[in-house]
Amino acid sequence: MPPMQEKPLTKPLAIRLDSIAKNYGEHTVLKNVSLTVREGEVTALIGPSGAGKSTLLRCINLLERPDTGCITVEGSRIDAGTNFTTKDLAALRRNVGMVFQSFNLFPHLNVLRNVSIAQERVLGRTRKEADVRSLQLLERVGLADKAKQYPSRCSGGQQQRIAIARALALDPRVMLFDEPTSALDPEVGLEVLAVMKELAAEGMTMVVVTHEMQFARDVSDHLVVMANGAILEEGHPEDIFTDPVQPRTREFLRAVLER
Amino acid sequence: MDIFLTVLQGVPMTIGLTVSALAIGAVGGIPLALGRRSQIPALRFLAVSLIEILRGIPPIVWLFIIYFGLGTALPQLDPLTSAIVGLGVISCAYMAEIYRGGLSAVAQGQWEASEALGMGRQSVLTFIIGPQVFRVSVPAAASYAIGLIKDSSVAYTIGVTEIVYFANDQSRQSSDALGPFFIAALVYVIMTIPCAWATRALDARLRMRVAR
Repeated sequence: MPPMQEKPLTKPLAIRLDSIAKNYGEHTVLKNVSLTVREGEVTALIGPSGAGKSTLLRCINLLERPDTGCITVEGSRIDAGTNFTTKDLAALRRNVGMVFQSFNLFPHLNVLRNVSIAQERVLGRTRKEADVRSLQLLERVGLADKAKQYPSRCSGGQQQRIAIARALALDPRVMLFDEPTSALDPEVGLEVLAVMKELAAEGMTMVVVTHEMQFARDVSDHLVVMANGAILEEGHPEDIFTDPVQPRTREFLRAVLER
Repeated sequence: MDIFLTVLQGVPMTIGLTVSALAIGAVGGIPLALGRRSQIPALRFLAVSLIEILRGIPPIVWLFIIYFGLGTALPQLDPLTSAIVGLGVISCAYMAEIYRGGLSAVAQGQWEASEALGMGRQSVLTFIIGPQVFRVSVPAAASYAIGLIKDSSVAYTIGVTEIVYFANDQSRQSSDALGPFFIAALVYVIMTIPCAWATRALDARLRMRVAR
């Protein structure tokens, strides 16, 4: 990681979503949502279930294809309304790593292979090169000793840290987290959050869908509150947590904070 | 005892026929199963039609069509080859259905994770989905294989010298209608029971790894 530099006033854009719309039949999931994420920034997406947070996140790497709208990630641009090639898609995904709520490790491969396989298939690294890099990353998430184990032998928190290492192994410029701690016990979730905090401190651009309000408040640089397929309000997390503009945001924050 | 030894002579043929047909099915079932899930409707239709036709016609009819039908055009088609081809194509259809079940048993998240990592479709199938499908397909494929050991006996009708062929032969020579067939039955059971044990052990081992 490069040393901390003097922050310029406006950092370049890492992600730009322009009027993303998505319907499942009659049901509208996203209503023309636009969002920008700056380089090195941590953006937290919060809001009630069914607000469309995860769908929006999954639109960024097109795991979910919006009906209309434009997605630009690190210079790769895809217009969802038009036909795009698998090459365009690959170019966009090349810069994006993703971590899922249910980890989605490959159960038939040991931990080391889990982290190495995509490096070999996508980046064309040799097995040896890939394994060296994988071990570095496993070391970093504190799990180098698990390299030869199968995922089923690891705890949920360990599996999620392995999943983070797997995504980082492709040297992404942007990391997406889809409720990374929701499937974990609160205590176990902490070890995953610790890894994420470290990553944020190192300047990784991150977009995190989360119910961890403390994380959203303390770690994120930019907070986005969603409800009913739209962005209610966004801004500095401290401002929104202390003085939300929208009544719906107030209601939501009261529900999650005062329990 | 003599009868027993004579009937045993059919064992290599029964095993050879079963293993060959199963091998054809294990490989040929892959494109059929993928065809069934294809996004191209014509391809899907073709795969479904093939599977249903292959499964809908009794093995003995297939063998007659191939041996007596195709055999007249291709005189070099001997009984064993005809039986391997016949049972092999039928196995393709059954294995395709087994793989299809296996494919739907693989969690959606596996596809998503591989996609998010930017892996191409070919890589995903070969390294991520394929191995998991094979593992969950083991029990169903094993039951099919055990069935096939027994069903391979239809090949005797076109003159393949497998277990029933020798039993039938002995029965006629000794005008003992029951004895040789009882012995054949015993031989089949001796063959199938270890298969069942072996698959249970294999399944348990693989399951330990795939378990989520």
